Amino acid sequence: MLDVRALVFTADMYGLQLDQLAELFGGGTLRQARALVARWAKAGLAESASLSPGSPWVWITKAGLQACGVRYSAAPPALARLAHIRAVTAVRLALQAVPAYRDAGAYWRSERRLRARLGGRLGSRDHLPDAEVHWPDGTGVSWAGECWAIEAERTAKTLARTTAIMRELLARTGDYGCPAADARVPGLPPRHARVLYLCSPAAAGTVLRARETLGSLGARIDVRMLPPSAEMPPAQPLAGTGP
Amino acid sequence: MTSRATRLLRVIAAALIALALAPVTLVAAISVTAAWRNGWPPARLYRAAAWCLPMLAVWLAATAVSRHSLGPAVAAPHLAWVDLRRHRYLAGATLLAPPAVPAGLLAGGWAWSLRLASMAALAGGRSPAAAARFDQRQWRHQVRAAQARIAAPGTVPVLTATGDFVAGAVIRTVGHPARPLAQLPASRLRAHQLVIGGTGTGKSTLLLRLWAAFIQSGLQRQAAGIAGPPLVVILDCKGGADARRIAERAGGILRASGARNVAVWPDETVLSLWALPARQLVSTLVDLIEHGSGGAAYYTDVMEAVVALAIEAPAGPPASTADFLARLDIGWLMLAYSAGDYDEQLALVRSAARQVPDIALRFRTLFRRLGPGLDGPGSFADADAWYCILEGTSEIAVAEAQARALVDLLASYVAGAPAGSSDPRQVLLAVDEFSAVSRRLPIWQLYERARSLGLAVQVSAQSWHGLAVRQDDRYRLAATAEGGIWLMRTPHPDPVVALAGHRASTDSSRQLVGWLRWRRHGTSRLLQIPVANPDLIRGLDVGQCAYIYRGGVSFIQVKQLVAGPAALPRSTARSAGSAARPAPDDRAAGPDVDPASPDAQLLRGQPQAPLGDISALLDQAFGPAPRRAL
Repeated sequence: MLDVRALVFTADMYGLQLDQLAELFGGGTLRQARALVARWAKAGLAESASLSPGSPWVWITKAGLQACGVRYSAAPPALARLAHIRAVTAVRLALQAVPAYRDAGAYWRSERRLRARLGGRLGSRDHLPDAEVHWPDGTGVSWAGECWAIEAERTAKTLARTTAIMRELLARTGDYGCPAADARVPGLPPRHARVLYLCSPAAAGTVLRARETLGSLGARIDVRMLPPSAEMPPAQPLAGTGP
Repeated sequence: MTSRATRLLRVIAAALIALALAPVTLVAAISVTAAWRNGWPPARLYRAAAWCLPMLAVWLAATAVSRHSLGPAVAAPHLAWVDLRRHRYLAGATLLAPPAVPAGLLAGGWAWSLRLASMAALAGGRSPAAAARFDQRQWRHQVRAAQARIAAPGTVPVLTATGDFVAGAVIRTVGHPARPLAQLPASRLRAHQLVIGGTGTGKSTLLLRLWAAFIQSGLQRQAAGIAGPPLVVILDCKGGADARRIAERAGGILRASGARNVAVWPDETVLSLWALPARQLVSTLVDLIEHGSGGAAYYTDVMEAVVALAIEAPAGPPASTADFLARLDIGWLMLAYSAGDYDEQLALVRSAARQVPDIALRFRTLFRRLGPGLDGPGSFADADAWYCILEGTSEIAVAEAQARALVDLLASYVAGAPAGSSDPRQVLLAVDEFSAVSRRLPIWQLYERARSLGLAVQVSAQSWHGLAVRQDDRYRLAATAEGGIWLMRTPHPDPVVALAGHRASTDSSRQLVGWLRWRRHGTSRLLQIPVANPDLIRGLDVGQCAYIYRGGVSFIQVKQLVAGPAALPRSTARSAGSAARPAPDDRAAGPDVDPASPDAQLLRGQPQAPLGDISALLDQAFGPAPRRAL
């Protein structure tokens, strides 16, 4: 059961590093994670390689995606996005670790899932959040029934761009992949009740200034720092190459 | 050398060349067969050849880089021949494909254009009827290809990425670009249009697509800040159960296209005739009553004077039918004008005293027949789409009066947009089955001033004669249809076809000297033939139409729009309209947000529910919030 959950998790996040896979087990060790990946690889469900400093990356193959029942295109995570993918995964793991998240049965809808729903129809001006978190109705929390947009900001964008993205996320009324006419309909409740920004120290200043620019609308934007595990581990020196 | 021998030599030479260039000949033959089978124009083969040029360029570049010379490319046919003799077919085909495919497509396009030209000039074919049969066969092939193009769900969007309207798949064009899909600029949707087609020809399907496109295009323009929100007002002048069925279908499609609320008048919602300005109200009320000319004109003048007295009374205009009928009383009128300096009006009341009860009786009868649909409260502002059902089949006089009142209400609503509003609503008035109300609805008058009001008028009728009572009015309607004329199957297309104009065509004659044998001598002459073939229009199948615009015609297989599954009941126009009004708190968009920007308008209109406190959750997951000093 845990295998399946981890498989879908890995597929949803494009791929993840073994240390994050171990963290998914709730304090599991790297050894356990390696054993799991070896089982997946043997079954042809996943592949693994060292794509960046730190632990090896694991991603799901076409057979694995079919086993998960998701229609993503099978590919290793893009090298240019590895740091961002790690940051978003760290945010998800941190949020999932909170008991209130589990108790409320919240659902993480990843960017890959949103993109797959769009099926290549993303307009050049549209912006996809890094994830959505759906809080089911009828749970004890005061924000039950809400949908949050999650944005992980590692590097600072321009103030204008950040403000435009915030406004777009807050103004959207339709689901991603809905008819264009439904995307932003005046008078309908917003799709995202809030937008949660997780920032690196370098990006936090711009995000906070952009939030202030929005005035009272900024009350729907929450800003926090990225968890420490979002940082890519430093490169290890190769064995035997030291002075 | 005799001419027969010369011809024989030419044939042999052509056969030898074709054999020597066998791969090119093969590709050309395949492409001509495909073009014949699918009814493609030669341009499509030329375009395919052009798309092959990158392959040729890459092949030449790869050869030049790997062999440091283009010599191997020149020797490719010989090398390929050697490969084929050694039964290495794949290697041979790989060597030949880069030059042979584009050359073959070009040759095929050229051959196909020669064939089409000779058939169009009636100079081709073995039998005297070959050209006519060829055209019929090509039409069938083009229809089949067009139907196949739109068969798969989702292949034909209502609007393209650039905002153009897509009606369906092109069957054949004359004087219009030959594209696979019938694409029109969205601006045509905002211009006057005419739709003519008999029962069961697919007219409703086309109209639904046009209305959906208008809503979608209008919402895009609104989002871009170019115009105000769209409004579609449909007058279904046929009425009955069929109108209600179409209203339900239209409601689903329009909602799926982005309309927040669709009002069905008078079944589900009402409008208020009494919202008209006083002057306009007098004119509309008088026009609602059928009156004659000659001696009856005197009575009409008296009626207009009495109605004006009732409407323009010092107490203000009436607010309802009951209020108005109560005023058509000599006692009420005397009392209303007794206080103040109204001697002239009082004299008018006294002189019309004998006619007032008759006038009251006529209006009482009129409003009883009209029903409560115009007694308010309600306005066109309350919904994005209005489907108005007029019982034109069962009660023509009532439908005529209702149509007149609704059109006046709409014109007043459009003309009365708030002063200084930069983005007036984009309005489409669609009058379906116009013949039912054409006698007393001079819609061409609306045409004249509609453009300045930002109102597009779309008139549809079952036939040319159903457009208007008088021939002049019919031509006036057709000639001012700047957005084009949609012609479905109709037995009398000639007047509209004549509007499309003529084009030059070649008519060739040949001399038949025996069984399927022609002499190689003949004559050709240029003649003018209609751009739109009226016989093709008479024979159009269900869902096919001819779109006539600027001296050209596109025959189109219209793609049917299917509404999504039945939605939960929407709020009525009145409640939905009030819900859709922007929240009063303009600060919601932020202090430095351009209030006219689409996002700002959207954000202002969004309901602002109080948000719960999530800081404890976030603190637990990510730590405390960062300070602004960062």
